[in-house]
Amino acid sequence: MRINDRVFGLLMLILAVAYGWGAMQFPIPFGGQESVGPETFPIILSVVMSISAIYMMVKPDPDEKWSPVPMLIELIVVALSILLFAWAIEPIGFIPAATFVVSFLSWRMGANFVKSLITGVVSSVIIFFLFNNVLELALPLGLLEL
Amino acid sequence: METMSLLMNGFAVALTPESIMFAVIGAILGTLIGALPGLGPANGVAILIPLAFSLGLSPTSSLILLTSVYAGAMYGGRISSILLNIPGDEPAMMTCLDGYPMALKGKAAEALAISAIASFIGSFIATIGLVILAPILSKFALKFGPSEYFALFVLAFATLGGVTGKNQVKTVMAAAIGLMISTVGIDISTGVQRYTFNMLELFEGVDFIIAIVGLFAISELFFFLERHAGDGLKQVAINKLKLTARDILNVLPTSIRGGILGFIAGVLPGAGASLGSFISYSLEKKISDKGEFGKGDPRGVAAPESGNNGAASGALVPMLTLGVPGSGTTAVLLAMLISLNISPGPMLFTQNPDLVWGVIAAMFVGNFVLLLLNIPMVGIFVKLLSVPPKYLMPVVTLIASVGIYSVSHSPTDLYFMVAFGVLGYILRKVDIPLVPVILGLLLGPEMEKSLRHALVLSDGDWSVLFNSGLSIGLWTVAILGLVLPLIVGPIVRSKMRKSKDSVQDD
Repeated sequence: MRINDRVFGLLMLILAVAYGWGAMQFPIPFGGQESVGPETFPIILSVVMSISAIYMMVKPDPDEKWSPVPMLIELIVVALSILLFAWAIEPIGFIPAATFVVSFLSWRMGANFVKSLITGVVSSVIIFFLFNNVLELALPLGLLEL
Repeated sequence: METMSLLMNGFAVALTPESIMFAVIGAILGTLIGALPGLGPANGVAILIPLAFSLGLSPTSSLILLTSVYAGAMYGGRISSILLNIPGDEPAMMTCLDGYPMALKGKAAEALAISAIASFIGSFIATIGLVILAPILSKFALKFGPSEYFALFVLAFATLGGVTGKNQVKTVMAAAIGLMISTVGIDISTGVQRYTFNMLELFEGVDFIIAIVGLFAISELFFFLERHAGDGLKQVAINKLKLTARDILNVLPTSIRGGILGFIAGVLPGAGASLGSFISYSLEKKISDKGEFGKGDPRGVAAPESGNNGAASGALVPMLTLGVPGSGTTAVLLAMLISLNISPGPMLFTQNPDLVWGVIAAMFVGNFVLLLLNIPMVGIFVKLLSVPPKYLMPVVTLIASVGIYSVSHSPTDLYFMVAFGVLGYILRKVDIPLVPVILGLLLGPEMEKSLRHALVLSDGDWSVLFNSGLSIGLWTVAILGLVLPLIVGPIVRSKMRKSKDSVQDD
C-alpha cells in the first residue's frame, strides 16, 4: 500500500494552494508596492510545496504501518493529558498537575499503578523545589497555596 | 599569531571557575542524554535551551553549557551502541559493529574506555581544525552579499538530506513546511500580518524552541508509547576494566585518522557524521591487514567513534562562520544562538570574539572533562541506562514542558508544544525528516531578508541571484546536493547495511 504519501501529498497540496492564495490577499503595505512585498517569499514557497506535493502523490514511497485504532486513541488520550496538565498548572497548581501527568504517562507506558504514582509524586515535588528554590523560577502552587 | 592570542583570550574565559562549572554540568548532562535511549543529542540540547534561557545565563555561559552537552551527548551515544547494540542515532550505527561483539566477549569496559579515548582524540583533532579553519572561512564569508547568502541558504537545505539521504523531495517538502511556519507573524520589514488569523499569540510568530521540543521530544514520547518500549532492553553486563598502555597505543593511529576524516566530513555540506564514521571505519578495515573487524576489533570501535566526534566538531565550522548548520544538533545550537540574540555568521568572529573563542576553548576543556568523567564514572552512566524508559520518559517530558512554561509562563506555549508533537509524529510516519523543518523555521526570516535585500539592491531584477561567480558556484553545489544522493545514496546505504548484515550473520 502506498496510500500514506498520496493522502499526505494531497493535504500538503491543499495547504500550499491555500497558503499561496492567502499570500495574494495580503494588503499592500504602507508606502506602496516594492519589488519584494510580504507576499513574494510565501508565493515561492507555495510553488515549491505544490511541486513536491504533486511529486509525492505521483511517486509515493511504501507505507509505514499505522498502529491499530485503539493505540491511536491511546495516543490521543496521552496528548490530551499533556494539554490538561498545561491547562491545570495555574488554577490547580504545578505539583498536582505534574503528578497527574507523569503518573499517567508512566502508567500508560507499562509501569504498575503504585510505582507510576510514586514516580509522579517524587519527580514533581523534586522539580518544584528545584525550580522554585535553586533555580528561582516560580512555578504556581495553585490550590496548595492555602 | 592572531589566532593564538585570541585562543588564549578564549582560555581565559573558559578557565574561569564559572565556565568550568558549566562545562562539567554540561558534560555530565550531555553524557546522560546521549546514553538514554530515545533521547538524541538534538533532543537533549533542545530541552535545555529554554532552561538556559529562563535562568538568565549570560550568552557565553549558556553556549559553554550547551556545547558541552552537545559534546557529551556524542560521548554518551556510544554507551547504548556498545551495551545494547542499539545506536542512539545514525552515526553511532558503525560503533555497534565491533563494540557490541567486544561487549559480548566480556570486554565491555575496554570497549567503552577505548571509545572514550577515541572520541576524545577525534574531538580534539577536530577542535584544532576548527581553530584553524573557522577564522579563514569567516574572512572569506565577508565577501558574501545578500544574493550569495540566499544561494547559501538554498544550498544548506539542498544538502541537508546528505549523500545518504533517502527521498530528496521529502527533504524539500520538510524545508518548505518549516519555512512556511516561519512566515507566520507580523512581517518585519512591512508590518503586514501574515497568517496570524488575528490571534494575538501568533503576532510574534511561532517560537522555534517550542517547535523543536514538540517535534523532537513529544513525538518521541508518542513513538515510545506506540512501540511498547517502556521496559527498556537487556544490556550486556559490564566487566572490570583491564586496559594497558599498549591497547591505547594500538588504537592511536586509527583514532587520529578517524578524527581527521570525520572533521572533513563534518565541515563539508551534506556529508555529516554518518558518513564520517562510515568512511573512517571502512578505511581502517582496508588498511589493517590482519584484523578481526566485525568481531570485536578495538580498532573497529575507535575508528567510527573518532570519526563521529570529529564530524560533530567539524559541523560547528559552517554553523559558526556562515550561520548555516549542517546537522540536526547544530541546527538546535543555532536556535540557541538566535534566541540569545546573537546572529552567527562571519560578523560573529569580529563582533563577539570573546564569545566565539571562549566557546572554542570551552570545547577543549569540555573534552578533557569528558575523558576524565567517562573512564572512571562510566559505571554510573551505565546504571542510569538501566532505568526503564517507562519512568524516565515521563519525567523528561515533564522537564521539557517546565522549561517551555518557564520562558513566558503561558499555557498556550504548551498547547503549541503538544500540537507540534502531533505534527512531528505524523511527519515521521510519512517519513518526512524533521531536521529540515527546524532549519526552515530557523533560517526562514534570514532567508527572506537576504532575498529582499538582493532584490532591492538590483531594483527588482531577479537575475541578481545568479550574477556572481560565487553565487553560481553555490547554486551548482546546491543542485549537485539534490541530485547526487539519487546516485550515491543507494550505494553508500547498501554498503552500510551490508557491513552490518555480514556482522550479524557471523
